[in-house]
Amino acid sequence: MDVQRLKESFARVAMHGDEVPLFFFSDLFLRHPETRDMFPVSMTVMRDRLVHALARIVSDVDNLDGLTSYLRGLGRDHRKFGTIAEHYPLVGTSLLATLAHFNGPDWTPGLAADWRSAYDLVAQIMITAAREDEGVRPPFWEATVIAHELRRYDISVFRIAVNEPLAYRPGQSVSIESEERPRLWRLYSMANAPRDDLTMDFHVRMIDGGALSMVLTRGLAVGSRLKVGPPLGSLVYDAGPAQARRDVLLVGGSTGLAPLKAIVEQMSDLPDPPQVHLFFGARTADGLYDLADLEKMAAGFDWLTAVPVVSHEPGFAGEHGQLPAVVARSGTWREHDAYVSGPSSLVEATVAQLTAVGVPPGQIHVEDFGWSEP
Amino acid sequence: MTVTSRRERLTPDQVQSVTFPPARLGRRGFDEEHVRAFCAQVEGELVTLLNEKASLWEEVERLRRRMLGHNGDVPGYRPEDAHIQAVRILSNAQQTADRYVADAQHYSRQLAEDARRRRDEVLAEAQEHAERVLEEAHQQGTRAAEVAMMGPATLTPGERRELQAELAYLRTFSDVYRNHLRAYLEALLRNVEEWERAEKSSLSAARAELSAGVAELPLRPQPRLE
Repeated sequence: MDVQRLKESFARVAMHGDEVPLFFFSDLFLRHPETRDMFPVSMTVMRDRLVHALARIVSDVDNLDGLTSYLRGLGRDHRKFGTIAEHYPLVGTSLLATLAHFNGPDWTPGLAADWRSAYDLVAQIMITAAREDEGVRPPFWEATVIAHELRRYDISVFRIAVNEPLAYRPGQSVSIESEERPRLWRLYSMANAPRDDLTMDFHVRMIDGGALSMVLTRGLAVGSRLKVGPPLGSLVYDAGPAQARRDVLLVGGSTGLAPLKAIVEQMSDLPDPPQVHLFFGARTADGLYDLADLEKMAAGFDWLTAVPVVSHEPGFAGEHGQLPAVVARSGTWREHDAYVSGPSSLVEATVAQLTAVGVPPGQIHVEDFGWSEP
Repeated sequence: MTVTSRRERLTPDQVQSVTFPPARLGRRGFDEEHVRAFCAQVEGELVTLLNEKASLWEEVERLRRRMLGHNGDVPGYRPEDAHIQAVRILSNAQQTADRYVADAQHYSRQLAEDARRRRDEVLAEAQEHAERVLEEAHQQGTRAAEVAMMGPATLTPGERRELQAELAYLRTFSDVYRNHLRAYLEALLRNVEEWERAEKSSLSAARAELSAGVAELPLRPQPRLE
């Protein structure tokens, strides 16, 4: 396989921008109309994801170790979409047709053979990972809403029960699909440590124009049915031996509180929990949708200090100011393990502030979904 | 710069003579948004040119085959060409659908933003009003207390009458204000419920229409807050 030639031909194709994935999906749907149903109505996001995945694969094609774990994740993740081994050759045919089309006169039999073997390798890794996963867990879990509360007009807290055990680590997330919005999966963090009764809690804030968040905040009722994908995410707390344990700083903006609450629950099961400072921020006091529960937890655990912070309501009785700044001025965090969760701009600002006050980057944990979200 | 629509072609002349407004006060250089928009336009033009080049190449190939009298009943026309045509048609249809969905999402985002802004305004106004009224009541109470502090003994019958009148006024005022507030809150709640109902019905209507293959979303009635 001539890796350099492969990369060059991909660069030539990539110059055609959105036309490339557009051609690919049209070719696939024309050859196999039944595959159209596996995708959402609007394909804009799918096309971006396809191009990103291809670019990632091609750029890493000579670093097989890194690529393999990415592809295995991708293969496992595709199970929830109903992808099976038989679909891979169909995709391969359309992919090669697309590459041939956009390579034009540069598409030679040798290049075609290289792409064919590269694709077969990729497909094999994905199929194998999916097959191994089949023995371990279902492609997705069926879930029923058993409680739903609208805490503010745009923030909901709800509890689901899944149909079979779903093992996850506190702080992780699952992708959720609603029958109201077929084939639209979005990631949400569990807000509790795993329970024996197969129930899980979620905090959702409505995003303006967000297709799924609108359903999950204002369109749910007890009995609503959802699908839940496999757990993923790396925002997890590793307790380790008690003597090596650092104190912990948790910073959550809005519904970014959810994974941190799960981590606090996990800590409460430790015989000797670390000292924990939890900062919970919102623009206005009514955005502190879970404060009552947090205060109850803080009252029950003497190792937990919960600090509500509000940025845009001058009359607020508690801490007032931008969350990152309030956190930075409220203590010395150099010896702490920090976990930050919330809107990405807030996470970035908090990480920058913590780094500025001397917290080593290795002690700052943020969510990184890697391959699963654009 | 003058922003041309995406469909309009970019000419070398336009690139030559493009001008940008200066950036906002306190920042140097050109206005970033305009520069970005222009870069996007240039990128779009390049992609269009590349794609035109590709289809011209295909056309040349087709004509060349025709000249050489290669294959088949219809000279120079292969089944692959028909497939490529079909791919183009389907791609156009998909792009149209994508645009409709994007427009609908954009519209719904704007509605939600407007509603959120109005809600914040209404709440801020209500809070300000309540604070003002409380402040007034507080001042009147203080005044009444000051008078009372002077002691009942020193009160002339006239002052006592005045004080009682003041007290009666305060009581009435408090009752009226409480009723106002209650009516106001009830109206707010009614509006929220109405909004919820409208949303539920539009959700199910949208689902029905989507499954019927209609890409248009029904307009949601604007929540009325007054």
